[in-house]
Amino acid sequence: MNYIKIAWRNLWRNKRRTAITTASILFAVFFALFMRSFQLGFYDHMIKNAIESFSGFLQVQHIDYQDDPSLENTFICTDSLINSIENRNGIKAVVPRIEVFTLASSGNQTKGALVMGIDPEKERKLSNPENLLVRYRMTRDVMTALGKKSKLPLEIKNKLEFIKNNSYTNLSTIAIDMDIEEEDNQEFLDIIGETAEIPGRYLKQDDDGVLLSDRLAKYLKLFIGDTLILLGQGYHGTTAAGIYPVRGIVRLPNPELDNKVIYMNISSAQVFTGLKNRVTTLGINLDDNSEKNMLAYQELLNNQITDPTVVVKNWLEFNKVLKQQIEGDNQSGQAFMALLYFVIFFGIFGTVLMMIHERKREFGVLIAVGMQKTRLAIIFVYEMFLMGMLGVLSGIVISLPFLYYYHVNPIRLRGDLAQIMENYGFDPVMPLQWIDMYVLWQGLIVAMMVVFACLYPLRKVVTLKEIDALRV
Amino acid sequence: MKVIEIKNVVKIYNDSEVQVHAVNGIDLSFEEGEFAAIVGPSGSGKTTLLNMLGGLDNPTEGDILINGFSVSEMYNGIEKHRSRISPVLKTIFRITIIPAVIRGIVKLPDIVKRMKAERKLIDFRLNNIGFVFQSYNLLPVLTARENTELVMQMQGVSKEMREKRTKELLGAVGLGDRLDSRPSRLSGGQQQRVAVARALASKPRFILADEPTANLDSKTTENLLDIMEQLNKMEKITFIFSTHDARVVRKARRVITIEDGKVISDKKTA
Repeated sequence: MNYIKIAWRNLWRNKRRTAITTASILFAVFFALFMRSFQLGFYDHMIKNAIESFSGFLQVQHIDYQDDPSLENTFICTDSLINSIENRNGIKAVVPRIEVFTLASSGNQTKGALVMGIDPEKERKLSNPENLLVRYRMTRDVMTALGKKSKLPLEIKNKLEFIKNNSYTNLSTIAIDMDIEEEDNQEFLDIIGETAEIPGRYLKQDDDGVLLSDRLAKYLKLFIGDTLILLGQGYHGTTAAGIYPVRGIVRLPNPELDNKVIYMNISSAQVFTGLKNRVTTLGINLDDNSEKNMLAYQELLNNQITDPTVVVKNWLEFNKVLKQQIEGDNQSGQAFMALLYFVIFFGIFGTVLMMIHERKREFGVLIAVGMQKTRLAIIFVYEMFLMGMLGVLSGIVISLPFLYYYHVNPIRLRGDLAQIMENYGFDPVMPLQWIDMYVLWQGLIVAMMVVFACLYPLRKVVTLKEIDALRV
Repeated sequence: MKVIEIKNVVKIYNDSEVQVHAVNGIDLSFEEGEFAAIVGPSGSGKTTLLNMLGGLDNPTEGDILINGFSVSEMYNGIEKHRSRISPVLKTIFRITIIPAVIRGIVKLPDIVKRMKAERKLIDFRLNNIGFVFQSYNLLPVLTARENTELVMQMQGVSKEMREKRTKELLGAVGLGDRLDSRPSRLSGGQQQRVAVARALASKPRFILADEPTANLDSKTTENLLDIMEQLNKMEKITFIFSTHDARVVRKARRVITIEDGKVISDKKTA
């Protein structure tokens, strides 16, 4: 008779209690995984938004640029420097940029803006503004026109309210925001698309125009073909001024950036600021974005660059705000999970104590007929371990379909929640992270809880006096 | 040949403020193959004596020799390693909230030594003594076959041998057709017969039965006693009962009467 078999059968002596304890572990694992997956997915989303699709994981900068991001702290960027980095294995993109704050004006409207001088071709590998080009705008006129379309059913017309005043890069996002199935409503989406479509194109390599971020364009009341006036300070205190035609409007996922970014050709930006062959940063993305790899490449590139005024920094260094935001949220999430597990621990502990108390006489009999206490303790640990694993595995199995579904179909927030997210500077989307090491960690934590919950009862078994147990 | 010698055994329980003399200076011995009953009114000390014979309890004074091994000595080996932490440490433990884990760590070396000593005693019981309890005490999750086999498994007997002996024993107690029934599917008499088979499974030198017939009807009692008598004769195993049951007394070949922890008569009947 296998001792694991005895433990398994013992487990089902009190089916209801085992089921309740297992269910409590199951729900703890389920909620912990769900919560952790949300957290990690959201961090990934934040990093994707702010780092992978915007700044790059590494940046080559002037040594003082981070403390004083002015045009005085720029560096000379030659094609040979770009090529020497680009030609290394594991480097995905090397993108030169000029970032400068300036005043953007149109008519009576003026606003502080961030001019981003980019190489249109190279930039495709990093932020790829072409993908952000606004194709559809739900202006008041468009809404009125759509309201008159007889081909649109009332249900669709009612849902137009959800997309009022928004700008979209594709029809799929319109379908998501309207809460309708894209495949079933393609005909109506096409009508909406035709009515709301706006022109606009990406920058050409020698383009002298600009791409305006959506919110900024709305504020300045500018549209494609209109003229934008920029006025600011250039290199060495010169006056920077220029007039640029608007080629397109882009919708940046990060609302803060969407309020201020103006893309222009890097050569135009160099002329505007008087920087000639200088840039503010050289953004670098890697094939493998893990922290270990990022740090290894940072060291490698720092060794490669001989200019003592130029340094390679990683995103944890140049975007400390995001790093602290993630760390702070991570800690509060972990504290909540610790609390959840603490409650569950006492559930398991209570069950263990009850099991010991109920079976004290039986333990006494087993020891009397010759079972060693250590063997008895092992059977007891098997019981608890089987119960714990049953809860953990069912918790993982039950959570997998949910994790997968929300990983593939991230939750898009609306209303106040979306507003809060946007205020923090993030696209209001909550994707879940698919299974990773964190799943294993949840299992290990519960297994450790079972071990801790067993310590006191095991001591009881080891110090049990059979004569006392038999008298129960 | 003497298998058990009880030498001037005293057992005192310190029950709060009152000292209870459960066994008060008993001298007895048992020969191999005896079929003896210890009788007496409730509280006379029968069960206490039986527990000490089985090595489940230790005498306050005197000694019990089983096959020449001293029960008191084995218990002293255990007691020697009962953790004796210094009064200062004890006070610290009492007045501060030191987790049980730390206390456990302090006591660990003693616990390990004590467990080693206990292991000897438990092994001694496993190989020499069989127990039959009043309330059967079978493991409810195991079948009759598994309950019987468990003791042999603890002895390290091979699977083939275990299966063979289990079939023989359960056949001998008339349960050859109920091998795979769990205790909940057996009557009280059948459960007690499984308990007898379990007690015999380890091939012990003697079997201690504490009120084995107390929960059984007359017919079942007769049947069980016949089986035990037969096994006693066939396997030369010593049976010692503690009982008030007249039916058991009638079958016993030696009747020891105890009152107030003392032997007041010791008669051989056949």
